[in-house]
Amino acid sequence: MSNITVKNILFIGAGSNDFGLEAEHDAAIYQVMPELKGHGINVFLIDENPYALSLESLAAEAIWQPLTVENIKHVIKNNHIDTVLPLFGGTRAVRLWATTVQQWEHGDGPVPRTLGLSIDMLLRVNNLPNLTRYMADAGLPVLTSHVVKAQDDANELLRELQIPLMIRSLHPKTTNTRQMVERLDEFEEAIDYAKKQSMTQEIIISKAINGLKEVSMEILRDFRGNKMKIGASEDMDPIGIHTADSLSVAPTLTIQDQVLEKMRTYAFQVADLLGLQGIMHVQFAFDDSTGAIYIIKVSPYVDQMASRMALVTGYPVMLVAINLAMGIALEDIVLPHDFGEKTAMMEPMMDHVAVKLPIFPFGELEESDVSVNRQLNSIQKSVGSTIGFGRTFIEALEKAIRSAHFNNATFSPTNMAHISDDALIQQLIHPEDNRVLLLIEAIKRGYEIDELAELTNIDEFYFYQLGHLLQLELKVENDADSIESLRLGKQFGLSDGLIALFWNTNFTNIRSLSKEHQIEATYKALEPSAGEFPENARQYYSTFEEENESVQVSDNTVMVIGSGAFRLGDAASGGYATTIVLSELRRLQYHTIIMNNNANDATLMQNLADKQYLEPLEISDVMKVVELENPVAIIVPGNRRKLITALRELDQNVLILPKEKHMPSGPVDDRTEFALNIFSDGQQIYPVNMTQHVAGELRIISQIIELPKQLAQTHLENPGVYQVIWYENGHDWVDHVEISDISYDTWLRPMPFGQVAFISKVMQVQWVRITVRALLGRLTEQDQKLLENVNKLTLQTDVSLVAADVNYDLHLQPIEPIDGTRFELGVNIQYYDQK
Amino acid sequence: MTNKEVLDTASLQRALTRITYEIIERNKGGRNLVLVGIKTRGEYLAHRIADRLEQLEGVQIPVMAIDITNFRDDQPDHHENLGLNEAEKLNISEQNIVLIDDVLFTGRTIRAALDALIHIGRPKTISLAVLVDRGHRELPIRADFVGKNIPTAQNEKIKVFVQEIDGKDSVEILH
Amino acid sequence: MIRHLILEDGTTFEGLGFGAPATTFGEIIFHTAMTGYQEIITDPIYDGQMIVFSMPVVGAAGIHAEAYESVKPMIRGMIVHDLAEVSVNRQRRMNLDRFLKQHNIPGLYQVDTRKLIRHLRETGPQKATIVDYADDHAVDQLVATVLTNKQVQNTATSKPYANPGRGRHIVVIDFGLKHGILRMLGDYDANVSVLPYTTSVDEVLTLDPDGVILSTGPGDPRSLPESVLTLIRVLQTKTPLLGIGLGHELFALANDATLVPLPSEHHGMNHPIQEIISKQIFYAMQGQGYAVDETLLDRKKLFVTYRDLVDGAVQGLRHRDYPAFSVQFFPDAAPGPYEATAVFADFFETVEDYVEHHS
Repeated sequence: MSNITVKNILFIGAGSNDFGLEAEHDAAIYQVMPELKGHGINVFLIDENPYALSLESLAAEAIWQPLTVENIKHVIKNNHIDTVLPLFGGTRAVRLWATTVQQWEHGDGPVPRTLGLSIDMLLRVNNLPNLTRYMADAGLPVLTSHVVKAQDDANELLRELQIPLMIRSLHPKTTNTRQMVERLDEFEEAIDYAKKQSMTQEIIISKAINGLKEVSMEILRDFRGNKMKIGASEDMDPIGIHTADSLSVAPTLTIQDQVLEKMRTYAFQVADLLGLQGIMHVQFAFDDSTGAIYIIKVSPYVDQMASRMALVTGYPVMLVAINLAMGIALEDIVLPHDFGEKTAMMEPMMDHVAVKLPIFPFGELEESDVSVNRQLNSIQKSVGSTIGFGRTFIEALEKAIRSAHFNNATFSPTNMAHISDDALIQQLIHPEDNRVLLLIEAIKRGYEIDELAELTNIDEFYFYQLGHLLQLELKVENDADSIESLRLGKQFGLSDGLIALFWNTNFTNIRSLSKEHQIEATYKALEPSAGEFPENARQYYSTFEEENESVQVSDNTVMVIGSGAFRLGDAASGGYATTIVLSELRRLQYHTIIMNNNANDATLMQNLADKQYLEPLEISDVMKVVELENPVAIIVPGNRRKLITALRELDQNVLILPKEKHMPSGPVDDRTEFALNIFSDGQQIYPVNMTQHVAGELRIISQIIELPKQLAQTHLENPGVYQVIWYENGHDWVDHVEISDISYDTWLRPMPFGQVAFISKVMQVQWVRITVRALLGRLTEQDQKLLENVNKLTLQTDVSLVAADVNYDLHLQPIEPIDGTRFELGVNIQYYDQK
Repeated sequence: MTNKEVLDTASLQRALTRITYEIIERNKGGRNLVLVGIKTRGEYLAHRIADRLEQLEGVQIPVMAIDITNFRDDQPDHHENLGLNEAEKLNISEQNIVLIDDVLFTGRTIRAALDALIHIGRPKTISLAVLVDRGHRELPIRADFVGKNIPTAQNEKIKVFVQEIDGKDSVEILH
Repeated sequence: MIRHLILEDGTTFEGLGFGAPATTFGEIIFHTAMTGYQEIITDPIYDGQMIVFSMPVVGAAGIHAEAYESVKPMIRGMIVHDLAEVSVNRQRRMNLDRFLKQHNIPGLYQVDTRKLIRHLRETGPQKATIVDYADDHAVDQLVATVLTNKQVQNTATSKPYANPGRGRHIVVIDFGLKHGILRMLGDYDANVSVLPYTTSVDEVLTLDPDGVILSTGPGDPRSLPESVLTLIRVLQTKTPLLGIGLGHELFALANDATLVPLPSEHHGMNHPIQEIISKQIFYAMQGQGYAVDETLLDRKKLFVTYRDLVDGAVQGLRHRDYPAFSVQFFPDAAPGPYEATAVFADFFETVEDYVEHHS
């Protein structure tokens, strides 16, 4: 077993959601805490995020407090913490723990041990220039910046580094002094300008890597120094577009073995250099024309790449990572029995393609009349992502696109027909969120592939692939009702819905036509040996091939439809709700099936459900699975109205998890939103409590409430937590609201999942679980008693839900301020003084 | 002062591995083999080699450590304290001894170690394994097993780091 | 064009043809490597075989001058799920489809390769053919076909040649040598003489080598003449010796080891291989149908140095009395992880040490 003795361990959570921070850390922590508890370790967790699932885990003592140095010190002291594990909380937790250690004082007692990285390395990882120098000293190919003052020195660097160069001012007078020098005759001018803009007349010169290929690699290392590669992915988009905003493909398709092996060697060297015990993500830039490789970022902790690699390879990344951090050697790791005995030690191999597509918030913002800069650059703009799985790049891409957009109209090949040639060229050079469509349009208009590759710095392979896709769509479109076209279209991932659109019919017709001609989806297991060994796979994706591997789980399954990518407004709360639903279903001894396509969502944690279908969530996708699994019920979030109607028309037993179609806005400026919160078990309505919401903050009012007379007679057929909403002027906090008469200007809506998560934690009442029990007619006597008395639990809480401090200006450069009242991206908690 | 790494972790470990294989080659299965490490780092290296032999052959080879700081010919009363107890002294008679040290330089340390060994018993054979041979011998002594030959100048310092006490495995030249 | 793959057990698969429209016969195996298809199909160890790739999309990385393991593809057929038809090398002259066409080798794509691999993992390798029509005639043809066991003769050099360098003199005995080994020897600036496997002891010793390498190669080592084993028995006493792949199997046979066919062959680069002496785990390219039976090993002569942690298969041996050792996996990283290249460092250090002590 482990060579480390641990009694009390503290996990530091990742905090509120943000750009690039979805539920991946929460899911990772949730997954690994039971492992440690199973070994008799007392597990503690500190996090502030009300959407955090792990705060509700039974495997740990959860401390729900803002993530500050002070709070962490308190927790350590009060609980005799001897070991801290920040790596699962990602970059924020690492930074916080490093700061805590730096601010450690004599009276704080001994510093707890850090797992995964030594304190020394932790501090280094947290100090980018220091880390870069450290790697450069070890002979690793990092990009270094040079500070120069004299023109002669600049000229020397020009010869050494070669164009293109990035030039900027040291101690600049203005904010943005970055200049790209791509031609020799621009060099001197750029130097002059940067010098003038510098308060010390000094400039920083570095090699520019815009336009190079970006490759990500996830590796692991144990205390003995054994290292293993988990996987790699390549971005279709070149460097210059943030990797989160890029279309990413795993496994890498266009990178030669020799190049990838070199990157592997560098990544292993970094892991050795850091003395890592755990997992690490290394990002590389690759210059196809010279063969040069640069290390551009190292992240020796859990991040989105780690959770994505777990999903796309089927390798138990998080379980292995916790074992490594605990000082267990790779060969000694014992995995749960449904994994192959040797799975932990074998490098995962993929026999499928996974395409990650970023989700941008532009649509939602447009609906609320906020215009933003849609041009993609090195600052992340996407708020979520989906993954499509297939046996070809096109199939995976099509499925990713269909996962991103719930209806196919937004991805019709005619969508781009209106754009002018000039605008097309402009957007090829300065891409926006719709670039995949744009690339297809460019091919359609007859641009040569090498020309396009040069303009966009995208590998020619992708243009050939998109060209095939275009041909395919044209063929299907022009060949209505042809079985041959139908077969081809489905093989490459076109949905029944899209084919129906082409052929001016509806999806049920396409479905019966396919059935008639035995063009049926087959499900392939997603497992890490690529077919070499039998594994008890739980993950499946659809394709159109000869052999189907998925068999019905049992005749007592409940299928849950996930909420797909994170979007503005919903953020991680949808994933929170769905995950609790799955957990409760298992507790009620149903077999569970989840359909979803978001790697950063907790619903797709390994082992949470009995089976996962990694699929788009259109009606045709759902029905294919339903026909195979024949579930006793399908749980669907209430905002998927079309899906619900379609499933019901096909006689499916749909249970609705109440949710508004669009995320409602909250109060602005000088207004207050009051909510009378109620629960319906399907027959009766129970009063719960009152909440008050002023822009950016929501509190629970400590007041015993009774049902107003207007509600006493109301019948809400669908069980769930609801609220009666009304607005008043002013924004002072109140401790009592008169609610005997709410007959004017009020309306009823399902409580947003985010608020459900918040009040569940504050009240310590599991509202999502109770909803599930009510939906299935499984409320217990205890539930009944709770519901009858829940309004009398006056809550003396001083915690409020607040919008997280998200830097929209940096990421989106909006022209109008972005409405924070929907708690757009993430939430936090705050303590307030009670009157 | 800058240090130049001449043997990194992986190379150091490979050197120990190769020495182990060569010891097997020349001792026909390790019968009557005793490893004697010269304190401080030679002792750790001796244990590493013993661990390797155990991994391969499943047998435990006795390891003994000697401290020859008081045994060098440039020290007065150099026949005094070897840091060995009586039981350990008995072990070496009729045994094939492999004497292990980190760096071979002038040969005076080795000579002292040979003196000490012969002083406490009658080994059948004594051979010498060193991680680094840096040259500049002052005595007719030659290592049977060498991890790495590193030619050095007289005025250079060479330092072997071992994980057990230095926190890393490497060999560096200190300037 | 629709073409067919027929297996000896009667199973057939349909796909679209690429490469040459030829009809070929070979032994079919599956490979799980996700990169390095060019190296794999040009590696002489796959002479006479058909390879199914589990990697679903093959061809997108092109065909490159630096990725040849011999000057032409050695396989009899290539079966993939999706062929990235258009991807060309930097000079835009070659892609996978054209490469196979040029050498008259057929490929098949849009095959349910996962189904095929799951089938082969149960049956083991078997005879197979790629044909235009999967009719009785084709099946009869397949059944009647006897595959050659002369792969080493087909691929190894029949004449000695040199690959000069300024370092140590290394003699390579060629059983179907791949370029990766020469590339590695080049990294050490070795002065290389490549000799046919029919070479006599005297011919080798006259060249006064500092070390000898027994190369990789295709097929069953037991089909080679006894003279090869005699040669090895002498050479191992005279000079440091390294056997790789088939060379490892021959080194084992020369020292009375027994070879057994592996229940599931290793063709990939993801198995953990452990160096027993240090417990270090690493990964390397493997292409192996036979393994040394560890239980029948003469422990007075050989001991095991590396093991595959998945099925325990022997991955390396060492002679107890001589500086002679061997590895089953491919340490030349062509394709495959670089970690394994340490084997060459071991070999050259052994050579240096030997020269030092025997000069």
